[in-house]
Amino acid sequence: MQIPVEWYLVLSAFLFVIGAAGVLVRRNLFIVLFSLELMMNAVNINLVGFSRFHENLIGQNFVLFTMTVAAAEAAVGLAIVTALYRNRQTLMVDTFDIMKG
Amino acid sequence: MVEKLLFIVFAALAVMGALGVITRSNVVHGLLLLVFTFINVAAIFLLTQAYFLAVIQILVYAGAILVLFAFVVMFLNLREFQQLEQQHPVQKWTALVLAPLMLAEIIFVVTGVTYGSVQGGMSPDVIAGQGGNVKAIGEVLFSEMILPFEIASLILLVGMVGAILLAHKEGGTENRLRSWGEGEEPLPAIAEQEV
Repeated sequence: MQIPVEWYLVLSAFLFVIGAAGVLVRRNLFIVLFSLELMMNAVNINLVGFSRFHENLIGQNFVLFTMTVAAAEAAVGLAIVTALYRNRQTLMVDTFDIMKG
Repeated sequence: MVEKLLFIVFAALAVMGALGVITRSNVVHGLLLLVFTFINVAAIFLLTQAYFLAVIQILVYAGAILVLFAFVVMFLNLREFQQLEQQHPVQKWTALVLAPLMLAEIIFVVTGVTYGSVQGGMSPDVIAGQGGNVKAIGEVLFSEMILPFEIASLILLVGMVGAILLAHKEGGTENRLRSWGEGEEPLPAIAEQEV
């Protein structure tokens, strides 16, 4: 019994929206990074679901590349976190307004 | 039937874990709930017969990336500004209205489309006959996906250099983190150790 592809898409939509809400609402930089990881995982679920649905392995290979990007992003993000904390002694994102964005 | 039931259970657990991540005020709790979510996603990969990805999900995501996060969370002393986290109420209520709206939109679009399946011929039985999931993925990775594979190595190199550059302390020994405060003299033993 195969799981319908729509179920993967719905689960992925849930995780993606939760991640997006986390990025927009929370002020703690760590939680923002966690939410980014959640959104990347939502994309991975989509890729794996479609890979099973179309019965080829390109999607599963692409998940490997998404994980590579996630690892690089985590490393650079944490380096920025340590640099920010060293200079500002806080991690609340709305205090970082030096560029007046 | 059992697979569908398990999918619903793991999906519900993953979504609850994700909700916990963005609602907890304690960062360490959020981190542990994120690990919980990723393990449930790995279980869903197992149900999809993507065995290699399930293992990689636990090893790389829950194992490596989140341990890196845990290290940094514990290096920085976050306890003193945990109370500072008060969300703007307007922003919170706007998000509470807009996020379900966006979710409903995505689900409406996603379930309204009929997907035509292009059968690539790599069904789980075929993969099992060819020597397993890992072998099949490897064969695709080193033939069709060889250029993205090389680019991925470049991304990792750039990420590594970038992380080192950003986290590097400027100004030599002047800005070193010290265990004694400004203006007070270190104990001789500590000074000998740290300078």
